[in-house]
Amino acid sequence: MKRFALRFARTTEMTLLVICLVFFIGLVIASNGDLLEPNSLRVLLQFLAVPVLIGLAQMVVLAVGQLNLAVGAVGGFAACAMGVLMADHGVPVPLALLIGFLLASVAGLLNGLLVVLTRINGFIVTLATMTVLLGVQYRLVGTRTVDAYPQSLKSFGSYAVFGVLPLIFLVALAVAALLAVMLRRTVPGRQLLASGGNPIAARLSGISNDRSVIIAHTLSGAILGVAAILTVASSPGVNKSIGGDWLLPSFAAPIIGGALLTGGSAVVLGTVLAAFIVRFVDTARAEFSLEPSWVNFVVGTVVLGSVVLGQVRSRRQERRTVVKAPDVAVAGGVS
Amino acid sequence: MTLFEAEQIDKLFPGVRALDGVTLRLEAGSVHALLGENGAGKSTLIKVITGLYKPDGGRLLLDGQEVQFGSPHESASAGIGVVHQERNLIPGFTVGENILLQKLPTSRGLVDRGRIRSEAARWLGELDLDIDPDKPVTELSVAQAQLVEIAKALSVESRVLLLDEPTASITPNEAERLFRVVDKLKNDGRSVLFVSHKLEEVFQICDTVTVLRDGASVLESGALSDLTRDQVVDLMVGRVHEALTLPRRTVAADAEPLLELTGVGTATGHTDVDLKVRPGEIVGLYGLVGAGRSELAKALLGLDRITAGEVRVRGQVVRIKNVRDALKTYKIGYVTENRKEEGVFLEQSVARNIAVTVWDRLRKALGHVPFLRYVPKKAETAIVADYVEQLGIRIASPEQLAGTLSGGNQQKVSLAKWLAAKTEILIIDEPTVGIDVRTKDAFHTLIWDLAANGLAILLITSDLPEMITLADRVVVMRDHRVRGEVANDHDYDTMSQQVIRLIHAERTTAA
Amino acid sequence: MSAPVSETATAALQEPETPVEPPRGRGGGRTPWWANQRIGLLILVVALSALFGILRPAFFNQQLVVFPLLRDIAMFTVVGLAQMSVLSIGHMNLAVGRMAAFSMMITGISYDLWHFSLYAGLLVGLVAGTAIGALAGWVIARTGVNSFVVTLALDFLLLGLIPLVYTVLTDNAAFVTKPPGMRELRNYSLADVCIGNVCGSPAVPQLAMFAVIAMVVVGWIYSRSKLGRELLMTGTSVKAAELSGIPTARRVITAHAMSGCLAALAGFMLAVSTGSIKATIGEEFMLPSFLGPILGGTLLAGGFVSVWGTLLGTALTSVIRKGLDLLGVGLESLNIYLGLILLVALSTDRFRTVLSDRQGVRER
Repeated sequence: MKRFALRFARTTEMTLLVICLVFFIGLVIASNGDLLEPNSLRVLLQFLAVPVLIGLAQMVVLAVGQLNLAVGAVGGFAACAMGVLMADHGVPVPLALLIGFLLASVAGLLNGLLVVLTRINGFIVTLATMTVLLGVQYRLVGTRTVDAYPQSLKSFGSYAVFGVLPLIFLVALAVAALLAVMLRRTVPGRQLLASGGNPIAARLSGISNDRSVIIAHTLSGAILGVAAILTVASSPGVNKSIGGDWLLPSFAAPIIGGALLTGGSAVVLGTVLAAFIVRFVDTARAEFSLEPSWVNFVVGTVVLGSVVLGQVRSRRQERRTVVKAPDVAVAGGVS
Repeated sequence: MTLFEAEQIDKLFPGVRALDGVTLRLEAGSVHALLGENGAGKSTLIKVITGLYKPDGGRLLLDGQEVQFGSPHESASAGIGVVHQERNLIPGFTVGENILLQKLPTSRGLVDRGRIRSEAARWLGELDLDIDPDKPVTELSVAQAQLVEIAKALSVESRVLLLDEPTASITPNEAERLFRVVDKLKNDGRSVLFVSHKLEEVFQICDTVTVLRDGASVLESGALSDLTRDQVVDLMVGRVHEALTLPRRTVAADAEPLLELTGVGTATGHTDVDLKVRPGEIVGLYGLVGAGRSELAKALLGLDRITAGEVRVRGQVVRIKNVRDALKTYKIGYVTENRKEEGVFLEQSVARNIAVTVWDRLRKALGHVPFLRYVPKKAETAIVADYVEQLGIRIASPEQLAGTLSGGNQQKVSLAKWLAAKTEILIIDEPTVGIDVRTKDAFHTLIWDLAANGLAILLITSDLPEMITLADRVVVMRDHRVRGEVANDHDYDTMSQQVIRLIHAERTTAA
Repeated sequence: MSAPVSETATAALQEPETPVEPPRGRGGGRTPWWANQRIGLLILVVALSALFGILRPAFFNQQLVVFPLLRDIAMFTVVGLAQMSVLSIGHMNLAVGRMAAFSMMITGISYDLWHFSLYAGLLVGLVAGTAIGALAGWVIARTGVNSFVVTLALDFLLLGLIPLVYTVLTDNAAFVTKPPGMRELRNYSLADVCIGNVCGSPAVPQLAMFAVIAMVVVGWIYSRSKLGRELLMTGTSVKAAELSGIPTARRVITAHAMSGCLAALAGFMLAVSTGSIKATIGEEFMLPSFLGPILGGTLLAGGFVSVWGTLLGTALTSVIRKGLDLLGVGLESLNIYLGLILLVALSTDRFRTVLSDRQGVRER
C-alpha cells in the first residue's frame, strides 16, 4: 500500500489534486470566504456536472486511440430530442429521457460502426456525423427555445442535497465512478485499454480491436446521453446552440488530465480534476469580474503547457523504458 | 514423442514461393532450432504455425490430430505460445495483467486482482523469476520484459513454445538466464522452437535443428550433436558465396582516409571506436544484432550525439549536424537497414524517391528571385532515368509508387538516391536483408563496382558470407566497442574462424 | 563519377526478378481518366449545377446567385488550401478559423489605428497569419506533440485572446474603419474590368482573383518547387525524409506558416465580402477546410495533395449548399446532407482502394 501511495504521489492526478486545492484555497481567500457559503458552493458544483461528463465522453474514445468530434452534436441533438418529445408531443418525462439517452448511445454506436466498417479515419467520421447531427438538431428545434417541459424535471435539475451538493453533480460523479470501475475492473474495460495501449499485442492476445473501438464510441455516446439529460434538467430551455461549445472543453479536460492521444490511458480522476480546474478558472474570472474570454485563453495556455510538459516527461521516461506502444510516432509527431 | 508437426507446408505469395514443402517436427522435452538466412522463410513458417497466414498446402498436426488456426488466438488456445521479436506487452498494465491478458480471471463480473497476482506469481515462479506481478511493465528491462512474455505464453498452458530471436536485444548474462528457463521448460516435457542467428547459442541449448534455405528445408530435424558449426553454416548459405567471384581490386594502403574515427564515443553507448575508410576501400563492420553498428552510423550522421573522440572527413575534424549536413557538406550517404520505414517513401513515385537528394543541386531560381526556386522537370527526369537504367530498376514508369516494387527493386531505389547525390562516402547498412539470392549477387557486384570507382564504403552486415565476399578489411564490433580487425583474404574458412574468434573471445571475457 | 556502375554490374542487375506489378494509384499517368477522382468531382459539380438550374432557373441568376456562389467557392477554396498545406505533411490545423480571425484583428488594428490602405492592411494580416502559423509549427517541431493538440490549444487560446482585444479596442466588437476600396472589392465583378469594349462576366467576382492567385502559388509550390516536394516527402515518412537530408523540423514550421498565411487570406476575403472585421471571422471555417481537400483526394495521412481537387471539392459542397437553399431546404439542415455526402464519398473511395488493393498485389 505504501508503494502504491508513492506511485500515486508522482502521478498527474496528484499534481492536479494539489493544483485544485491551491486554486480552491486561493479562491476562498480572494472571495473573503464567500465561496464557502452553501449557495456559492452549490453554484460552483452545479456547473461542473456537464463539463465532467463531456470530458469523460472524450476520454473514453481517446483511451482506445480514437477521437470524437461529435461530442457537442450528439449531446445537443439528444437534449433537443428530449425537449421536443416532452414539450411538443407530451411524452412522459422518464420515457423521453430514456429515448434521448438511447438516441445518444445509438449515435455513438454508429460512430464506432462507421469507423470499423469503412476504416476511414475517426476524425473524419465524427466530423461527418457531427455535421449531420447539427443539422438534425436544427431540424428539431429551429430557431426556437424549447422550455415547456414539466416542472418536475427542472426541480430535479436544481435540487441540491443539503442545499450544497447538486443532484446533477452527484449523477456526474456516479457516472465517473462507474466508468472508472468499468475501465479498471471489467474485462471489456481492460480489453478496451489494451487495444488502445498496444493494438498488435491486444490482437495477438485474442482481443478484438474493432470491438473495443465500437464499445468506446458507444460508451462515449451513452455518457453524452447522460450529459444531455442533465443539460435539459438544469437549463431553462434547449435550443440549437446546446452543445455548440462542448468540443474544446471535451478535449481540454482529458488532455490536462494526462490522457495520451495515442490511446491506452484511463484517466477518469484526472479528467474530473481537470474539469474542476477549468471551473475554478471560470469562478476566478467571475470573482474578479473579467471578460469571459479569459477562461478560454487561460485554458488554452494550460492545455498547451501540460502537453509540452507531458512530452518532456515521457521523453525522459522513454530513455529508461523498453515497453512502449508500437505507434508512438503519432501523426503530428516529429522525430 | 512428436508434439507438433508442420507437414509439407507450402505458402505462396504473388510471384514468390515463400515456403516450398517445409516440414518441421517438434518433440516433447526437446529444444529445436530453426535456422536460415534472412528471407529463407523462417518468419513465414512461424506465421503459418501461429495462424497469421493460411498455408497453401500441407497440414498442421498437434498430438497427431490435424488442426487449423484462423488467428493467433486460436493457436494460442490450442497450446502454442509465441514470443515475438517485437515487444508485445500493454504499456499501461501491470506484469500480472499482461501475463493473464488472454484470460483475465474474474469474480462477480469484476477483474479479480488478487487472483491475477497469485496466478501470475505462479507462472513467474515456474520460470524462477523474481518479478513483482504488480509492477507496471514500463518499469521492466528488455530482458525482464522478454521473460514476462514467456510467462504470458505459458499462462495459456502452452506445450509448444516458439521463441523468435529471443536474444537479439539482451546481454549475454540475461541470455544465460533465458537459457536456464528454456532448459527448465524442456525438462518439464514442453517443446521449444528456438529461432536465432547466433549459432553458438543454438549449439549450446538446442537438441535438433531444421535449416531453411530459399523457402525449402535443406535439413529436417537433424541432431545437432552430429553436426559441426561449419556444416550448419554451409547448409544455411549453400555455396552461394563461392558462386560469385569478383575481380581483384587494389586499395592504396597509404591513401589518406576519407573517413576516420578516433576514440569516438556516443550518447548511445559507444566507447573508443577507431575506424578508417580509404577511397576505393570497402570496410566491413561486422557484429551481431544489437552490437551498435547502425547506431554508430546514425551518430556519424548527426542523428545522435558524439560525446568523445574525433571524426575526420578528408583529414578535417568535423562535427556533422544532420543528414543534410552530411550529404551537402561532406558527401556522406547512408543506405539504411530499415528499407520500408527509413529508406524508401513507399507512397511516393520512384522518380521522387531517387531525386529527393538532388533537388538542392538541380533547383533554379525563377527570374532570379531567391524565393522562387523550382526544380526543372527535364533535368530531374534525366537523372532518374539514368540511375533506373544503371541499376536495372524494373519499373513500368518513373511515376510508379515505390511501394509497389519488389524488395530488391526498392533497395535499388534506396541506393540510387545516394548515387544520384554523388556521395563519396557511403555507409551501407544490411543491404541484402530479405532479398533473394540472385539479386544479392547483383548487389554485391554493384557495391564492389562503386568501390572500384573510388567511393569509400562502410559496409554494415550480419551476413558473414556477404562480408567475406566484399570487404577489404573486417572490423568486428560487440557491445558498442570495436573488438578487433581482420584483413580479408577472401577465404571463407579462415575468415569466419577469425571473425567468430573475435566475437567469442569477447564473450568469455564478459561472462 | 558520372557512371559509377560498370556494365557488368548493370548486366548482373538486369537478371530476372519477381514480375513488376502494374502501377497503381493517384497521379501516376496511367490511371484511366474516368477513374480519376477529380474528373468525377467535376462531372458531379456540372451535373448538379445543371440539375439545380433545371429545377430552379433562378440558380443561373448572375448577380443574385452565381456571383455570391463564386465568392463563397473562392473563399472556401482558400480555406481548404490552408488546411491542405498542413495535411500535406500529415498534420492538422484545427485553429484555421481562429488564425483567420487573429490575422484580421491585426488587419483591423492597422486600418483603425494606423490608417493603413486596403492592401497594406492585407499584407499586415498575411504576415500575422504566417507568424501565428509558424508559431504553431515551431511548438510542434520542438516538442513533438501531436499537431491536433497543439492547434486545438492554440484555438482555445486565440478564442480567448481575440475578444479581449476587440473589447479593449472597439465599441461594438468590430473595427468600423473601412479603408477605401473595400466596398468596391466586394461588389465589383469582371464586368467592371474592360479591355476596350469587351467586358468580363458580371457573374465572376473580383474577389475570386485572390483564390486564383493562391491556387497558382500553392499549386506551383507543390508541383514544381523543391519546398513542396520536401513537404510531401515529409508527409509520406518523416523518418525517411530526415534520413534523406530533408530538414523536417523546418518543413513542419513552413507547412504551418503557409497554413496560417492562407487562413489570413481567407479571413480577408470573408471580411471584405461581409464588409466587417469582427471577432467571429472564421468561426465556420473548420468543416469546409477539411471538406474541400478530403473530397478532392488530399490524403489525411500526408504525402499527397490536390489543389484542383480542393477547388472541386469546395465547389461541390458550395453548389449543393446553394442549390438546396434555392430548393427551400433550410440553411442549417443542409448540414445533414453535407455530412452524409462526406461519409458516402469517403466510403466509396475506401471501397475503391480496397478493390484495387485486392487486384494489384502489394508486397509484404
